[in-house]
Amino acid sequence: MPAESEFPMNTHPYLRAYLAGVFLPTLILPLLLAAFIVTRIVLKVPIPIEQAMIFPMAVVPSLFGLWNMLWLGSHELTHLPIGLHGAILPLIMAPVGALVATCLHVLEFGSPGVTWFQACQVPYALIAPCFLAALVAYYLIWKYIVGSLNRVLEIA
Amino acid sequence: MNEHDEDRMKKLLQQALPPVEAEPEPARDLWPAMLRRLDAKQAAPAPIFWSWFDAALLAGLAVFAIFLPASIPVFLYYL
Repeated sequence: MPAESEFPMNTHPYLRAYLAGVFLPTLILPLLLAAFIVTRIVLKVPIPIEQAMIFPMAVVPSLFGLWNMLWLGSHELTHLPIGLHGAILPLIMAPVGALVATCLHVLEFGSPGVTWFQACQVPYALIAPCFLAALVAYYLIWKYIVGSLNRVLEIA
Repeated sequence: MNEHDEDRMKKLLQQALPPVEAEPEPARDLWPAMLRRLDAKQAAPAPIFWSWFDAALLAGLAVFAIFLPASIPVFLYYL
């Protein structure tokens, strides 16, 4: 293999980390959009789709990319496994997402619990288990998907 | 630079650089080791094996989603 063709793979590690991070949300987003549109237009469920898509479209992919860049930058110092690093992300994303959702009337707080998308009711007692489930999901996603992409892109 | 300076520079360089030995070949053939390194670099990443702990976590997550389906769109909102 000539040296010139090898050279680009050894450069821009943070760009590769960003791309590996945004991969999954970018892949899921069109599917999510299609599911929401079908739910609203075909099944006539009154979901505020425009407001609901702002956070997954504008914030989540960038946060995933930046979080992976942070892992790459801090890994030498912390030696934190990527799964655990990813499991920390909901601690930031949950309040930010809830704040954005509340401002956009996607999330409403009532007496029995919270209502997402004017359709999904989650009792207050189940918020903590939901958060734990999110930690688990993020741990698995980051360990097995983002971690694999990092290895493919030779940054892990 | 006059001739005296040139001689002085030559002596300084000779002192600074180690003399080339009579037999500059390495003690062993380095090419097989180089090939091994190239092969290792080109090899595909090692496959990932699920640990029982991670499989249990995934199963727990699936059970949670079945018992609380309202959590699925909320989770997708964060993905």
